[in-house]
Amino acid sequence: MSQVLVLGERALREAKRTPDAVLPTLFIPIFFLAVNVGQAAKIFPSGETAFLEGQNYAAFQLPATLLLAASFGTSALYLVEEIEGGYFDKLRATPVARSSLVMGRMVSEFVKLVLMTIVIVLLAVPFGIRIDSGPIGFLLLILLTALWAVGYSGFLQFVALKTRSAAATNSAGLVFFPLLFLTPNFVPRELLTRPMEIAATFNPVTYVMEAMRSLILQDFNWSVIGKGFLATGIFVVGMIALNIHTIRKYD
Amino acid sequence: MTIAVEAKGLVKTFSSRSGTVEAVRGVDLAVHSGEIFGFLGPNGAGKSTTVRMLTTLTTITAGTARIAGCDVADDPDETRRKIGVALQEAGLDPRQTGRELLVLQARLFGMTRAQASERAVELLELVDLVDAADRLTKGYSGGMKRRLDLASALVHQPEVLFLDEPTTGLDPVSRLVVWDEVRRINTQGTTVFLTTQYLEEADALCDRLAIIDDGKIVCEGTPQELKDDLTKRRGLTAEPSLDDVFIDVTGRQREPVEGEVREVHA
Repeated sequence: MSQVLVLGERALREAKRTPDAVLPTLFIPIFFLAVNVGQAAKIFPSGETAFLEGQNYAAFQLPATLLLAASFGTSALYLVEEIEGGYFDKLRATPVARSSLVMGRMVSEFVKLVLMTIVIVLLAVPFGIRIDSGPIGFLLLILLTALWAVGYSGFLQFVALKTRSAAATNSAGLVFFPLLFLTPNFVPRELLTRPMEIAATFNPVTYVMEAMRSLILQDFNWSVIGKGFLATGIFVVGMIALNIHTIRKYD
Repeated sequence: MTIAVEAKGLVKTFSSRSGTVEAVRGVDLAVHSGEIFGFLGPNGAGKSTTVRMLTTLTTITAGTARIAGCDVADDPDETRRKIGVALQEAGLDPRQTGRELLVLQARLFGMTRAQASERAVELLELVDLVDAADRLTKGYSGGMKRRLDLASALVHQPEVLFLDEPTTGLDPVSRLVVWDEVRRINTQGTTVFLTTQYLEEADALCDRLAIIDDGKIVCEGTPQELKDDLTKRRGLTAEPSLDDVFIDVTGRQREPVEGEVREVHA
């Protein structure tokens, strides 16, 4: 565990020293929040739209913003750089558990997204967004976002380890966009057309988004929150297992 | 005499879409403790692949390898504790300072934060990088990077140090500095396994050497033994150089390149 933390600390230092890579991962989700709310807020006025639960449309859109922020996985690109530059071999030549080599960066993604979620929510508060589930709900929202980031960075790390290519890893990151749009992103699931509803039902991101939305718009709805954590948990465990398997076979 | 590095029938094959490539084809080696052993060969001869197998970085297709008594394939973690590795590219993290890099390396070998900091200071002094210790390594010159890479391979005082082409791309002065470091490390009892394309380097540094070509060892001995053998076989009147030995056993050509040494081309 201490080796994971040592490597995680190093990855965080790396992120701190590359603000040019971190800032867009904060700016782009907030930009999409502003654009989406600007385009659709008038269609869904807060007082007359039941699914907003008394809040404004920005609150409804906030989960998509958080999920987008959690799905950049820039640390996987640093991993490719490390592989190409030879430093990864240097790390592999140490008696560190192979799992620690991949977990270190995942831990750093967790910490990064804890901080970014706090920043994004704080930036959203002046625009009338509240976390209706209270402080504990806020903590759960942070935890869910950060865990999703661990899973998604795990997916991109897996691509990086398999392909050892920055281009392929970068392209794999785009997979999230179709997943994000095959969700009840703009309206609740029951208002989607039938084909979109079916697609959203099979998309795990839907359950994460609905759990986040529930924490923002409602008091604790454990059934919805539980499904979100379950989907994220399965994703994270799956990605960690895939990464460990890949690093052990890495030649 | 104790054997520090032992390989028996080492084979490495790579599979690709175009078929199977046999990069190393049955290498046998025995490196004695405390010596500087040179591993020479032209580009693509199998030097780096052999080193990668011996250092646990690449799986062994067939054969066995033991480092300081540890079976490389069966006990890779114990092997890693006994070896230091400085690979061809001087792989450093460009976003860490020299000090951070050494501290991290030491911590990965199980030292506490305080022990790691202390060891980093010792090593920075050893490779004369104290003034640059808190600068990011991306700003280091080629020579500084090599020295830091060497230092990072020494954090845990390894029994065997693997240096894969440690002077490739360095100017003649930096090359001599690295040679001095290698000699100093060796006098402290560390066995050095050195791959190089530079024959003068091997002649200047190595107690014994082996030449690999096309995945197989084609000759092995002390530099003087190899020269004497060529003199005898060819009936030469003047002592041949290591270049002559190399050309004789590999059938390769040589061309002058910049600097004081000559590079061997396949």
